[in-house]
Amino acid sequence: MLLDAQTLARLRGVKLRARAVMEGVLSGLHKSPHQGQSVEFAEHKEYAPGDELRHLDWKAYGKFDKYYVKRFEHETNLRAVMVVDASASMGYRSGALSKLDVANTLAGALCYLLVRQQDAAGLALMTGGKWRDVPPRASAGHLNVLLDTLESTQPNGATDLGSAADHLVEVLPRRSTVIVLSDLLDENQDALKRILALRQRKNDVSVFHLVDPAELTFPFDDPTLFLDMEGEGRIEVNPREIKESYLEEFNAFLASTKAACAEADVDYELVRTDEKLDDVLLRYLARRGRRA
Amino acid sequence: MTFGNPWMLLGALGALIPLLVHLFDRRRPRPHPFGPLAFVLRSQKRTASRLKLKRLLLYALRTLILLAIPLALARPEFRSDAAAAQVVKGPAATAIILDASLSMRWSDGTSLFERGRDEARDALKDLLPEEPATVLVCTQSPAAPPPPGFDRGRLRGLVDEAKPTYGAADLSRCMDMAARALEENPMPGKRLVVVSDMTAGAFRLEAPPPTMKGPTGAPVKPEVVLRDAASGRDVLNNHAIVDLKVEPALQAGPRSFQFTFTVRNFGAEAVKDLEATVRVGEQTLAKGFVDVPAGGTTQKALTVRFPQGGTVVGQVSLAPDALAEDDKRAFVLPVPRALKALVVNGAPHATRYRDEAFFVDAALTAPGSPVEVATRDAEVGLREDFSTYDLVLLLNVAAPGADDAKRLADFVENGGGLFISMGDRVNTEEYNERLSGVLPRPLRLVRTSAEREDPEADTKTARLAKVSVEHVLFSPFTGRAEEGLIGARFFKYMLLEADNPRSPGASQVLATYEDGAPAVAVMRKGKGRVALFTSTVDRDWSDFAIRTSFLPLMQRFAAYLTGSLEEREEIRVRVGEGATLRPEGTQKVSAVRAPDGSEVPVKEQPDGSLVAGPVTEPGAYSVLGADGKLMPALSFAASLDPSESDLSRVPQDTLTAYFGEDTVKASSGDTDKPAVPLWTWLILAACLAFFFEGTLLRK
Repeated sequence: MLLDAQTLARLRGVKLRARAVMEGVLSGLHKSPHQGQSVEFAEHKEYAPGDELRHLDWKAYGKFDKYYVKRFEHETNLRAVMVVDASASMGYRSGALSKLDVANTLAGALCYLLVRQQDAAGLALMTGGKWRDVPPRASAGHLNVLLDTLESTQPNGATDLGSAADHLVEVLPRRSTVIVLSDLLDENQDALKRILALRQRKNDVSVFHLVDPAELTFPFDDPTLFLDMEGEGRIEVNPREIKESYLEEFNAFLASTKAACAEADVDYELVRTDEKLDDVLLRYLARRGRRA
Repeated sequence: MTFGNPWMLLGALGALIPLLVHLFDRRRPRPHPFGPLAFVLRSQKRTASRLKLKRLLLYALRTLILLAIPLALARPEFRSDAAAAQVVKGPAATAIILDASLSMRWSDGTSLFERGRDEARDALKDLLPEEPATVLVCTQSPAAPPPPGFDRGRLRGLVDEAKPTYGAADLSRCMDMAARALEENPMPGKRLVVVSDMTAGAFRLEAPPPTMKGPTGAPVKPEVVLRDAASGRDVLNNHAIVDLKVEPALQAGPRSFQFTFTVRNFGAEAVKDLEATVRVGEQTLAKGFVDVPAGGTTQKALTVRFPQGGTVVGQVSLAPDALAEDDKRAFVLPVPRALKALVVNGAPHATRYRDEAFFVDAALTAPGSPVEVATRDAEVGLREDFSTYDLVLLLNVAAPGADDAKRLADFVENGGGLFISMGDRVNTEEYNERLSGVLPRPLRLVRTSAEREDPEADTKTARLAKVSVEHVLFSPFTGRAEEGLIGARFFKYMLLEADNPRSPGASQVLATYEDGAPAVAVMRKGKGRVALFTSTVDRDWSDFAIRTSFLPLMQRFAAYLTGSLEEREEIRVRVGEGATLRPEGTQKVSAVRAPDGSEVPVKEQPDGSLVAGPVTEPGAYSVLGADGKLMPALSFAASLDPSESDLSRVPQDTLTAYFGEDTVKASSGDTDKPAVPLWTWLILAACLAFFFEGTLLRK
């Protein structure tokens, strides 16, 4: 079931939206890149001194009169943190959903998927210059906490990706999965680099770059007084006169962001707020599957 | 500048709209919170200067659009005030007079006539539909114009077919003719449109301006519109050959002539190193250079020696200028042919200067003379075969024998020339008896006016009293040259009878003494001619032989008697005039052909002469005889009227004053009507501005 933004908008609350999106994703499970203590059999290995005796396959000994040790490929104990940018600019909407709505929905859907496969999902919400953290857990009851937290979030304050990066370094152990959902509209030019630097700490980093269609096409005609959503700035322009120049600037920003992510080996997904979000997730998961 | 719809100019106030919108537009822009404001800011900074220029351009273009449209709708026109007055005056019967005189051939690439024709076409176009019109092409002998009508096509055809002539045109006369043509038209308004180069020769400003009968019968002035075909040019530079004299240059040879050009510079700038040439066919016989000061006249003489005799048709020319037609002039020149003369010496003498033939021989063989002389004594000379000579001179010969006299008569009859001079040896009775057929008049007796030894001989000697200088024989002896004739003293001379009884009236006395006795008598006989000189050609009876006039007169006798001297008066014909031709004897003229080969009408006159013409172009005209052969002696050259070469222009003020300020309505076609109406340019400007404004907006 592919749900477009209009349909999702009619669903009240992050829980419903996230669930709807999740159900639309037919296959979202992914294998853990780490071997652990899970239960799925992988292969046999001839016993060698030092191997745990409890993994000896007695049935195989009965058949072949040799000692074989079972080896398992077990599901990971994945720790994923959804870093949701809830700055004021994320509240912008030209259609049915704001960028924050979309970010919350995507984050919620991902949490569903993770918890469903017994991975640990957590949240790091930045709003009004403060952090709200929900540590990663894999229990089913934790999902409600996550979704409630997302639902209660309001856009506020300025985007500060730099402090987000610093915060994550503090709270995350190594080898975590970090999924950033933001419009990346940070005045600090180095902020994105600092987020991408998390990858160097063996974290698996993905970036969902949320963009409103109006930001992409600049469809304004009449003289407009543009107001800064995160500050006091304002400017009166005739949009038709600067449209060409604006689009050049914005497309260059998108291109440079994408290039920086690719360079840092970070998954980058540009998400238009009018897109079908299950499509977005399928695309993302498919790419993840290919990488795994 | 005038406006067809001046109230439309109020619309030009609309041009203030962009300014007012700029000043008073206080619309509040819609506030719009926007995330990526930084990009908007950067874009605005990047495009600020370009946008400023764009806004300025848009403002200018919008103002232009709003200004150009009402201006175009107001239908502006550039016209002089006078032209504007013409427009509001109302419809009028119109006569367009197109100057087709020689001066209209002046060309700087496009001739004035071509421009004038365009002006005439424009004048036809400018007519209102209700205005009847006619066209008069003004030539030297203009035809009356057709009555005014509405057939514009026919009038355009008249203008298209008009050609410039080589003659003068009297515009004053043409305007009178046009005024007469308009007089009958019932329309109260009358207009004369004069298309001309406005040169001084075109108008007779001393005559009253044209008038016509008004509705009450009283004369009224028509409206006069002057369209200047040479507008924009204060001066029309021109130089021309205004006169040409061709005279024998005996010092340079028997067939040498001096061509004296009179060159006038009508322009305001001096002309230097102007090439002057004499040509026959394609061959240049002489070339020189002449400088002519501004407004001045210079003469240049070129001497040409023709290789053989006969009638020569050629052309003298200057380096051509904008009016090339007056820079050349044709000539028809009889060049004397070589003559053989037999001098029969009746009184030879061992002392040369006392020999009867000494002076004649010296005169006829002088340098430049075409005569080849054979001198014989009487006994031998009279036995010569006369037919081998062109001329026989009997100098103080007693009398030829009867047979010799008959041979002499036959010789004359067949075209030979016979000169007879008197002396002591002349036997009058035998002359009268044997040569009665050829003597212009019978001889009577010798009269002695004074003896040489007489101390009062100076006062008693006879002198020539009356000489027919109008005759070709004596024509050069005018002025100071005449003194050489009348200064000669005659001690003795032969008296003649009053007339020739055998041929009454055939002889002609060309010179007489003071007592009225003939000195020179001539007569035509058959194809030949005879001249009788009643005194001696040595110093026995007179001192004429040592006078300065003796040599040229004897040479002219030789030429005249052999028919090689142009006997007719030089035919001076100007374009537009007729040439009077006087064929000799039984000569018949079958046709006269113009330089372009066309036939010229010929009319016979009561006195037997013929008038060819009027000739319409300059150049050499050929006269054909009954047998279709060329008659060189009657051929002639026609020249242009020098006054037409004067292209000085009449000032506009003078013409305005002449025609009356209240009647002259326009000056130049170049200024009174733009090639394209101004409003179309304004509309075009508005459209372009509209296009660019749209293009700018789309960017």
